Amino acid sequence: MSEKPWFRIGWRNLGRHRKRTMLTALGLAVGYFAAVFTIGYSEGLMAEMVENATGLVSGQIEIHDAEYRPERSLYDTIGGRDGVNVTRLLDGVSTDPGVVAVAPRVYAGGLISSGESTSAGMLMGIDPERELTVSRFLDELVDGRVPEQGRNELVIGVEMARQLAVGVGDDVIIVAPGADGSMGNDLYAVSGIFRTGMPELDASNAVLPLADLQTLLTLDPSRIHEIAVTIQNPWIANDTAERLAAILNPDDLDLEVAPWTELNPIIVEFVALINAFYGIVFVIVFGVAIFGVANTMLMSTYERRREIAVMLAMGATPGSVVKTVLYEAGAMGILALALGIGISLPLMLWWNIAPIDLSRLYGDLTVQGALLRPVLRVELNLAYWIWGGVALVATALLAALYPAARAARIPPADALSGL
Amino acid sequence: MKPIFIALVAVLTVNGVTGAQELSPREIMDRVDRVLRGSSSHGMATMQVTTENWERQMTMEIWSLGTEYSLVRLRAPQKEAGTATLMADKDIWNYLPKVDRTIKMPASMMGGAWMGSHFTNDDLVKESQLVEDYNIEIAYEGDRDGVTVWEFLLTPLPEAAVVWGHLEYQVRQQDYMPLWARYYDEDGELSRTMTFSEFIDLGGRLVPAVMDLQPADKPHERTTMRYETLEFDIDLERSFFSLQTLQRQR
Repeated sequence: MSEKPWFRIGWRNLGRHRKRTMLTALGLAVGYFAAVFTIGYSEGLMAEMVENATGLVSGQIEIHDAEYRPERSLYDTIGGRDGVNVTRLLDGVSTDPGVVAVAPRVYAGGLISSGESTSAGMLMGIDPERELTVSRFLDELVDGRVPEQGRNELVIGVEMARQLAVGVGDDVIIVAPGADGSMGNDLYAVSGIFRTGMPELDASNAVLPLADLQTLLTLDPSRIHEIAVTIQNPWIANDTAERLAAILNPDDLDLEVAPWTELNPIIVEFVALINAFYGIVFVIVFGVAIFGVANTMLMSTYERRREIAVMLAMGATPGSVVKTVLYEAGAMGILALALGIGISLPLMLWWNIAPIDLSRLYGDLTVQGALLRPVLRVELNLAYWIWGGVALVATALLAALYPAARAARIPPADALSGL
Repeated sequence: MKPIFIALVAVLTVNGVTGAQELSPREIMDRVDRVLRGSSSHGMATMQVTTENWERQMTMEIWSLGTEYSLVRLRAPQKEAGTATLMADKDIWNYLPKVDRTIKMPASMMGGAWMGSHFTNDDLVKESQLVEDYNIEIAYEGDRDGVTVWEFLLTPLPEAAVVWGHLEYQVRQQDYMPLWARYYDEDGELSRTMTFSEFIDLGGRLVPAVMDLQPADKPHERTTMRYETLEFDIDLERSFFSLQTLQRQR
């Protein structure tokens, strides 16, 4: 016997109580939307986190002397004590097709002081032109402008500016132990104030032109600590880093070419953890839905006791009865899926293309040291839409198993005699 | 640097004492500890700092009053001459002649190096009241390399705000000269060793003219401080240890 009649019976049963069917399907559809949205939003957060962790300040790949990390000693410059031909090295890095921009950096610890207030800070020496192509934190200053070389200027974070009670145009003193053991100190004018939204950075970073910082530290112009590299997208960091290491190694420098995944393994782990959590989202959402569907199916089979009894009495096998119920549930699942996609697609497209600004509800926050802007930004990942669909239909079928088994065991004689 | 002063002062007080055989460990250490308080000093010293990356020598003039006040002014090298540090009431200010400004050391930097040496800012200010902060017992008494010594074990009292897990102090019995002090961290690991040597007469008192501080984790690094001249109980008022004096480039 062909499957068609059983399917038809199942399908037509859906029309028996159209409102009930629609409500149940709607329940599943909303569940589908909830799952797809939760995952899409969380992927949006992850993408935002990775972009900010790598693009705001640090860069997607960092090149250091092999000794530099983790102590970050002033003396472990690229190429060791002799330094390196910085321009040539930067050009070398730029030749890789994955590389978008490169910038040299010098780091040192120091004290930044104004009047009564002094704070311990991280001094960051940058090449202003190149830096703007690599990191984003200097793109839009809260106030003022990027420092110019040779004029003893610097930019500081908003929180440091608040602690030191200084604004653009005010002088601050920097004291920093130099490479020769002397206490480098000089006056600098605040040319601008930046805000990253990350409290540590806003409170501790002071950024000045590379050459000026080298002078303060009695560090030769050939000595830099880091080359920050921006690449086409964060996910090719590992491959690009490997290629760069191969390109640069013949120069006989003992270099470490570290992709952000290595510099910031916590974020990688965090992303992996969140990915694992998506399975749990499906279990929870559809775990709730399954009881609603089971209830509907139970009711729909119970009110058809007599009909099913007639079918059985006329020679239908219990297996066929199970089939009709499962077909009914499956059809409902597909209906719900269509409804779900109908709800999800426009909303998700909207939030993907034009993320909603939630900054009225909550401010910037940082997770695992990475800034998250308060926007409702979702990612569209087809895989999760498909998995959601599979989970939805499976839920409907699973929910129908028990009602189907009960229906198949209806004793025809008792049911028909009105017991 | 305070340990230096304290050790120094300790020696000074102990020096004239006779018949001290029956002193308790606490009383002996008290002599090593108590001395600088109330007495004043003025001297010239050189500090030789050797690190893996550089070596430098500084000449400095030092004034002190008790354990609360001291002023150190660099006289050499030329590039940094005039740079001065004032310690008063547990605060530290640095005067920078190049920019003619004074900076107060923030609390978070008190563990940092002083003038690139192996002494920390805390060493300069922490009132090393050994007898108040530590429980003191004699760990060893007798002969060490032909010298009769005491070795004291100093363990911090529960309420004491000190950074060390415990200290060991070796003191020569014949003249109460400290020979070395060992500083252990909270895990019981040796953190640094201060060695005293060249016991000579300066300013009318027997003092260890040389103090050598050696961090345990960097065997090739050390800071050696040597007193060239020293005078005691001079006429110094508290008002001398002021920001005005600090900024006066004498």
